[in-house]
Amino acid sequence: MQAETTGRWQAIRSGFVATMIVWPGVAPFGMVYAVSALAAGLSFAETLGMSLIVFAGASQFTAVGLFAAGANPISIIAATAIINARHLLLAASTASYIRQSPGWLRAVVAFQLTDETYAVGVQQFEKTGGDAWFQFGANLSLYFIWALSTVIGSLLGALIPDPAGLGLDLIFPLTFIAFLMPMVRDRVNRSVALLAAGISVAAALWLPGSWYVLLAGIIGSAFGAWFAGVTPKTTPKEQL
Amino acid sequence: MSIWLTYLGMAAVTYAARAIPLLVMRNNPPPWLALWLRYVPAAVFTALVVPALVTTSGAAGRVLTLGPAVLAGIIGALVAWRTSNAILTVICGMVSFWIIRMVMGG
Repeated sequence: MQAETTGRWQAIRSGFVATMIVWPGVAPFGMVYAVSALAAGLSFAETLGMSLIVFAGASQFTAVGLFAAGANPISIIAATAIINARHLLLAASTASYIRQSPGWLRAVVAFQLTDETYAVGVQQFEKTGGDAWFQFGANLSLYFIWALSTVIGSLLGALIPDPAGLGLDLIFPLTFIAFLMPMVRDRVNRSVALLAAGISVAAALWLPGSWYVLLAGIIGSAFGAWFAGVTPKTTPKEQL
Repeated sequence: MSIWLTYLGMAAVTYAARAIPLLVMRNNPPPWLALWLRYVPAAVFTALVVPALVTTSGAAGRVLTLGPAVLAGIIGALVAWRTSNAILTVICGMVSFWIIRMVMGG
């Protein structure tokens, strides 16, 4: 029991620490979210409340815009559902690693699952196998920095420059490139990535919200499964 | 008050998307599903990267934008391929973005 508790703490801690790599990409946007929310007329409590209760960056930005435009709650909730539908896929993928952990723990992990912590989790689980406590620590880490940057943004207010103007919105895709490249060293994954690139760009241009992630994710991975099935096992030499 | 109720609605639909697969998939998935899920990370990571580099969002929706971000992304990808180092990838990508933008006079 003692050893189990220690192992848990270690897993939570290493998940928390591993996620610090995405802090620089996330924090500027937490701050800008706060600035734009206050500018849209939300109080400090409401601004921080959304970060703590909803905890989903892209949909929070959208909601702020809709609040400012005086949209009704139903349309705000509908927009949130569309933007966050991609989490279905992230959760299904995560579930394949941690399905053996207790139901209550998976329910807790689900509350804070994001693009960033999903990526950090998968990286780890591909190396060492699934660990729901690691995922929990990773989620907690992002929750912490998102809340902290919301508070800092509220305090500093208009002093904060527009991160997109500085190009800081590039940190997010650059971080994910670093996650992606080690993954595409075999032919199947490389084909999956190429197909997903085409689909996601086309869908991003033509469809609203983040359907493009869901669409490219489902079709790209289905193609990978089919391709892996029809391709004879590659020798190690062919893998590069 | 209605703003907090809106938050609860937003949280509910978000939580549903995050929780349903995690709670439903308790047993060994059938082999076809396990194989399918194996390729989800590469597909999702790509979908989060490529549109973010080659499109921008404006008032008229998302449009194709082939600018400094694309070159910075390619440089980042090369660094990531060689080093598998996330911090170095972000630094090289950002610095090359700023240099390219300066040279192009943006």
